[in-house]
Amino acid sequence: MQADRRTLEFYLLAAFFGLFVLFLYGPLSTILLLSFQGPNGGLTFPMNGVSLRWFQNLFETQAVGDFGGSFSRSLMLGLMVMATTVVVSLLAGLAFRRGFLGATPLFYLTISSLVVPSILISLGIGLAFQIAGLEPNWWSSAFGAHLTWTLPFGVLIMFAVFNRFSPAYEEAARDLGATSWQAFAHVVLPIIAPSLVGVGLFGFTLSYDEFARTLMTAGSFNTLPLEIYGMTTNVTTPVLYALGAVTTLVSFAVIGIALATIAIIARQRRKLGVS
Amino acid sequence: MSVAAEAAPAAVSDAPAPKRRRRAPPFAPYLQAMPLGLILGAFLLLPIAAIVIVSFWDYDSVQIYPAFVTLNYAETLGSWVTWSTLLNTLKFVAIVWAITLFVGFWVAYFLAFHVRTSKMQTLLFLVCTVPFLTSNIIRMISWVPFLGRNGLLNSALVEAGIVPAPLEFLLFSEFAVVLAMVHLYSLFMVTPIFNTLVRIDRSLIEAARDAGANGFQILWNVIIPLAKPGIAIGSIFVITLVLGDFITVRFMSGGQSASMGLMIANQISLLQYPAAAANAVALLVLVLIMMAAILRIVDIRKEL
Amino acid sequence: MTDTTETPLGLDRRNLLKTGAAAAGVAAGSGAITGFPTIWAQNIKDVTLRQFGTGVSNLNAIAEKVKEDLGFTLQMTALDSDSVTQRTVTQPNSYDIADIEYWICKKVFPTGALQPMDVKKIKYYDQIVPIFTTGKLTPESTIAQGTAPHTVTFVEGPGAKTFAKEPTQWMTLIPTIYNADTLGIRPDLVGRPIGNWKDILDPKFKGKTSILNIPSIGIMDAAMICESAGLIKYGDKGNMTEEEIDKTIAVLIEAKKGGQFRAFWKTFDESVNLMSSGEVIIQSMWSPAVTAVKSKGIPCVYQPLAEGYRAWGGGLGIGKNVKGIVLDAAYEYINWYLSGWCGAYLNRQGYYSACLSTAKQHMSPEEWAFWMEGKPAAAEIKSPDGKPIEKAGAVRDGGSFEERMGKVACWNAVMDKDRYMVRKWNEFIAA
Repeated sequence: MQADRRTLEFYLLAAFFGLFVLFLYGPLSTILLLSFQGPNGGLTFPMNGVSLRWFQNLFETQAVGDFGGSFSRSLMLGLMVMATTVVVSLLAGLAFRRGFLGATPLFYLTISSLVVPSILISLGIGLAFQIAGLEPNWWSSAFGAHLTWTLPFGVLIMFAVFNRFSPAYEEAARDLGATSWQAFAHVVLPIIAPSLVGVGLFGFTLSYDEFARTLMTAGSFNTLPLEIYGMTTNVTTPVLYALGAVTTLVSFAVIGIALATIAIIARQRRKLGVS
Repeated sequence: MSVAAEAAPAAVSDAPAPKRRRRAPPFAPYLQAMPLGLILGAFLLLPIAAIVIVSFWDYDSVQIYPAFVTLNYAETLGSWVTWSTLLNTLKFVAIVWAITLFVGFWVAYFLAFHVRTSKMQTLLFLVCTVPFLTSNIIRMISWVPFLGRNGLLNSALVEAGIVPAPLEFLLFSEFAVVLAMVHLYSLFMVTPIFNTLVRIDRSLIEAARDAGANGFQILWNVIIPLAKPGIAIGSIFVITLVLGDFITVRFMSGGQSASMGLMIANQISLLQYPAAAANAVALLVLVLIMMAAILRIVDIRKEL
Repeated sequence: MTDTTETPLGLDRRNLLKTGAAAAGVAAGSGAITGFPTIWAQNIKDVTLRQFGTGVSNLNAIAEKVKEDLGFTLQMTALDSDSVTQRTVTQPNSYDIADIEYWICKKVFPTGALQPMDVKKIKYYDQIVPIFTTGKLTPESTIAQGTAPHTVTFVEGPGAKTFAKEPTQWMTLIPTIYNADTLGIRPDLVGRPIGNWKDILDPKFKGKTSILNIPSIGIMDAAMICESAGLIKYGDKGNMTEEEIDKTIAVLIEAKKGGQFRAFWKTFDESVNLMSSGEVIIQSMWSPAVTAVKSKGIPCVYQPLAEGYRAWGGGLGIGKNVKGIVLDAAYEYINWYLSGWCGAYLNRQGYYSACLSTAKQHMSPEEWAFWMEGKPAAAEIKSPDGKPIEKAGAVRDGGSFEERMGKVACWNAVMDKDRYMVRKWNEFIAA
C-alpha cells in the first residue's frame, strides 16, 4: 500500500505496534530503573538510594561467577551458531526447493528438532558425549545443541522465503546465459539477503540466550545464561540489572552505528553517481 | 485453527513452478542438504535414540539399570498427574497461541504494508529484538519488581486510583505465565508472517480493490490465504515452544503450576532418567501429532 | 579460538589450560606447600583444578586465596543445584572437584562418578565436627532423621560404591559447609510471634508464604510443618512410608488449593527477592539469605522454632578419573580448605565450617563469640567482603553453634521411596 496519505488504519496499527513495543520493553523498564539501586539495594523495589555502583561493579570480580569469561564464550558461540545456521539453512533451503529423495523425512526431522523439549536434547547430547568418551565443551556439544534449535528456525524461514519466490527471475537470468552459480549469486542471493540477515539475527539471539540446551552440554565452563543462573544460587545484586541495561544500550549503539554507516555509504555512492 | 483451517484452497497461487530445472547437476541437492542431515543426525537422532532406549530402563533412587520394562510408561500414562499436567499445558498452548497469532499478525501486517522502506522495517525489527539480548534469567527476575505487590505496575495502578489495592494475580499466577510467554514468543509469530506478507505481490491487492473488494474482503480472501504458510510456521514455533517450556512456567507461576516440560525437568533433576524419558516420549508423540495436524491443514512445503 | 582444534578429546584442552596456568602459577605462587614430596612442589603449580558446585560455596574469593597460598589454579563454575546433580553423574570428566550436598551424594556416589578419599591423607580429619563422622554432635546427642551426613560419608574401600555403616578409611565427601535452616519471617509484617513450623499454615498469612521447590528438601519442610501442626505422626520423617508421603502431599495440596502459598522458591536469590519485595512474609529460608535481606535495610528474622531445624551439609568430592599430580593437588586443596581460612570465611557468612578449631584461629575473638557462641557482638560485625552487617550488641538469631546444630530435627533426605515421593511431588505441583 504505497498510498501517499496515511489512513486511519495506519494510525490504529501504528498505535498497536507502539503498544507492542512498549510491552516488549516493559520488564526492561524495571531493569533500567533498578540498575541505579543504591549500594545496599536489592533486585526488587523499594529503591535504596541511587547510585552508579552496580555499573562499576560489573567490571569488578563478583563474589560468585565471572561475567567476562562467560560473556566471551557466549558471544563466540553465538557467532559460530549464527554463521553455521545461515549457511546450512540456505543450502538446505535450496535443496528442498529442488527436491530430492528423502526430502520429506529430512523435513520432518527438522520439525522434530524444534519440538523435542530442549532439556532432553541437553541431556541426550550430554549422555552421548559421555558414552563416546568425548569431553563436552561449549564449542562442541553445546554448539551442536544450539544448532538443533536454530537450524529448524533457519530452514523454516528459508521455506517461507522460497515458497513465495518466483523462479521467473532465475529463468530470466539463465535465458540470458547465466550459469546456475551466477544466477544464484547475482539474482537469488541479493533478493533473499534480508531474510538471511534475519536468520542470522535469529540464530545469534537464540543461541546467545539459550539456557536449557546448554545446561548439560557446556562442559567445564559456563556460558553467560548459565553463569547468571549459577550466580542466583548466592546473594545476587543489581549488577545483573546493570548488565541488562548495558546490554540494551550497547545493542542500540551498535544498531545506530550500523544504520549511520549504511546511510553514509549510500550518500557517498549517490554523490559518486553509482546507482 | 480458525484462520488457517477455513481458508479453503489458496485463492491465488504463484506462477506454476517448473518441475525440473536444467543446468544444475542432479546430485547438488544432496550435497546441499547434507550438512543439515549430518548435524541433525548427530545432535538430534542419536540423543533421541538414547532417550527412547532409556525410557524402557529401570531405576531406583540411585541408579538406572538397562532392562526392558514398560513400567515407566504405565506410570506415566496411568497417572492422573500426567493427564492434568497435559491439560494444563494444552491450555497454555491454546491461550498463548491465540494471543500471539492475533498480536503477531497485526504487527506483521503493520510492518509489511504500512512501513514503507525495507530499511525502516529492519530498524523496527531490530528494536523489537533488543529486549531479548538481555538474558532471559535476568528478565524473569525483573518481572517480580514489575508485576509484584509493590511493583511498578501495581504502584502505578494504585496511585492512579484505578484499583484500591495491589492486584495479586499479576504475579505468580497463570496470568503471569501467559503474559511472560506472550512476551517471549510473539516475535516468533511476527517474523514468519511478516516474511510471507512482504512477499505478496501488491498488484494482487490492487486488482482486488479495482474489482470492488472492500478492505475486509481483501484481508480475508487475498492476504490471509497468502499468509497461510507464515501463519503455520509461526504456529509451529509458538506451539512447540509453549509445549516444551519449563523455565517460564516455573518462574512466573512461582513453581505453582505444572507443564510437561517442568515435570520432565523435575524428574531429570532427581536422576530419574527413565521416567523423564518416558514422559518425553509421550510429549514427543503429542507434539508430532499436533505438527502433523498443522501440516495437513497448511502444507508449508507446497509450491516449492 | 585455539579451542577448535582437530582433536577435541579433552586432553588437549587440559594441557592448554595447564600450560596457560603455568606461567601465571609460577609468577604468583608463594609456595606454602607442606607435606608433599618436593619433586611435585614445582610442577603442582602448573595444575588447574576444576571445581563446580552451587554458588553457595563456589566463591571467587576462595580461588584467589588458593592461588595465593598454594600456587595452583582453582577454576570455579557455579551452577544451580539440579545441574550440580546432573553434571556430577553424567560428566565425570568435566571436573576434578565436585562440591555437592550430602543428600545428592546419596544419589550420585553409588553411580561411581566420584572416588573415595583416603582419610590418612586428610590432615585435619581428627578435627572434623563429629556430625560428619559419628553423626553425633556430642556423645549424648541423638542422630537426627533424614539423610544424616555420616550415613553417606564412608565406604569400605577404594573401589566401593556402597556406603559403610561405621567410619572407615575411605570417605566419599570431605565436609566443608553446613547449616540449620528454619523459617525466615518479616517481623514488621507478620504481626505476631512465630514459634512453630505450623505457623506457615496460619490463614492469616494466606498468599504470603513459601517453601522450597526442591523435592528432597521441600518434603522435609512439609514434614516439619505437618508434624508441628499435629496432622501426621511420622515413624521416620527422613524415610517416609508411601502412606506418610500421601498424607504429607495431601496436606500440601490442600494448602496450595486454599491459596496459602505465594510461590515456591528454588534458588537462594529467589528466596531473598520474595522476602525483600514483601511478596512473602514467612517462608523456609537459609541463614545467609536472611542476612542478605537485612543488609538491604529490610527487617528479617531467622526464627528459631520449637520443633528444631532442618539441616543440610555439603562437601568436596574428587572425580573418578582424577589421578597423578592433579589428585595430589586435589588433596592439597582439600587440606587447605579445612585449614581455617575458608572455615572462617564461611562462618562469617552465617554457615558453619567443618573444622571449627582451625576456623577459630582465623577469626577475631569478637567474631567467634558472635557467630559461634551466640554472644552479643562486642564490635560491629562485618561480612567477609567488609560490609557491616550487624551492629555492636546484636545477637545471632538462634544462638550458639551448639544450640542450633544441637536442635536439628531432620536432614534433607533421599528416601527409600524416593521414586514414589517425586511422583507425588509432581502431583502437588500439578494440583
